[in-house]
Amino acid sequence: MGLNITYLFAIIILVISVFLARALFVLPFYRLNYNCTDNNDITNNNVSDEITRKKIEQFTSKRPLNAFIYLGSGGHTGEMLRILSNFNETLLKKGNTLHVGYSDEQSHEKFENLIKSSFTSYKDINVKYYKFIKAREVNAGYLKSLESIIRTLLSSFINIIEIKFEMMGKPHLVLLNGPGTCCIIALWFKVLDILLLFTSSHIIYIESLARINSLSMTGKILYLLADLFVVQWEELIRVAPRAKHFGILV
Amino acid sequence: MKTIFVTCGATVPFPDLINSVLSSEFIKCAVENGFTRIISQIGNGYTDVLAEQVTKLNTVGDYMCHITAEELGCKSIACSFKLESNGLQFIAIEYSSKIEELISKNADLVISHAGTGSILDSLRLSKPLIVCVNDNLMDNHQQQIADKFESLGYIISCRATPSSLINGLVSIQGTTLKQFPGSRNITFEYKLVETSYSL
Repeated sequence: MGLNITYLFAIIILVISVFLARALFVLPFYRLNYNCTDNNDITNNNVSDEITRKKIEQFTSKRPLNAFIYLGSGGHTGEMLRILSNFNETLLKKGNTLHVGYSDEQSHEKFENLIKSSFTSYKDINVKYYKFIKAREVNAGYLKSLESIIRTLLSSFINIIEIKFEMMGKPHLVLLNGPGTCCIIALWFKVLDILLLFTSSHIIYIESLARINSLSMTGKILYLLADLFVVQWEELIRVAPRAKHFGILV
Repeated sequence: MKTIFVTCGATVPFPDLINSVLSSEFIKCAVENGFTRIISQIGNGYTDVLAEQVTKLNTVGDYMCHITAEELGCKSIACSFKLESNGLQFIAIEYSSKIEELISKNADLVISHAGTGSILDSLRLSKPLIVCVNDNLMDNHQQQIADKFESLGYIISCRATPSSLINGLVSIQGTTLKQFPGSRNITFEYKLVETSYSL
């Protein structure tokens, strides 16, 4: 009897340590070699644009991309749509699947306008919509916000599971730029990454252009969760050394 | 028609900017610099306040607005009039759904609030831009962003007072602002692809 309990205990410890090790692997915060990982030529600007374009083409011509984007409302939606149209050759390429998360109808409408108004091949991408409940209404009381946070947590988990399983095994990307709901989205993706052991969600967070000297609240949290943390002003590298700066992207 | 396009953003009204634009000093200066029309996006729900202000101005009675609500990208024109003293036309709309088209077709100069969206719209369309910071807003990001863009030489920044706006208008006539670079950053695009296609 005593032996059985010991075995059980050992198994539990083993399982816990596997998931802990996995967590360390998944959370970029603990990746000590993070800055050494991209010493390749392209990120060091040693390669001409033409060659880079060809390399991109090599990747994207093989298999279509599955991307999840979250339209955060107002300025966040605006910046995300600008990113989509600036990088349309990759993100809105023919055959791609775009999973679009949104919480307000206005963002939904703006996104549809972007896709419809474009004269090129945007009709050939698959779009799937996922409605998220807002994490926090501005000026809500503490109890009210706590209740809404819990509701958001649960409903978004169901969405994320669905998106995760749709994207798994295909080239995929999670593109976030705020606001608060993005923290929950990133968290659930990471939780699934830990539980499923052999998958990574490829979360890219792009901090708002309005942020020059300090990170937003969402930025501070996503700094610990995102696989690639992008800032649009070089000054922010001082505050967030792990961040990458490519200039203005929106 | 040489046109100034004014945008206050869609959500938060910016009365100081509208008041400064409608001030007799600024209008005089604009006319002196050859402008004959001002089109303004005043923000949702500001029509009544503006209508009240306009009654105090001397306007031409039988003025006909030659641009349709359809062209302006809105359901209805909030107000439009022509000044008796110098013939300057003023057209106001609450919110335009095709602001980029409106700016690119009609504007020779843009005066904008300091929202990043509005700033980027004009810069991408290579229009000369005066950015007006709203002192009444609680966050100081707008000030920072205006200062930053001004220090880079892309815009002229000013405050929401007639005199500051006149200074901006005069100085923007004498300078050539720097061309804003495109945002299709190939290094970032490669990073996107590399991340997506990694394991």
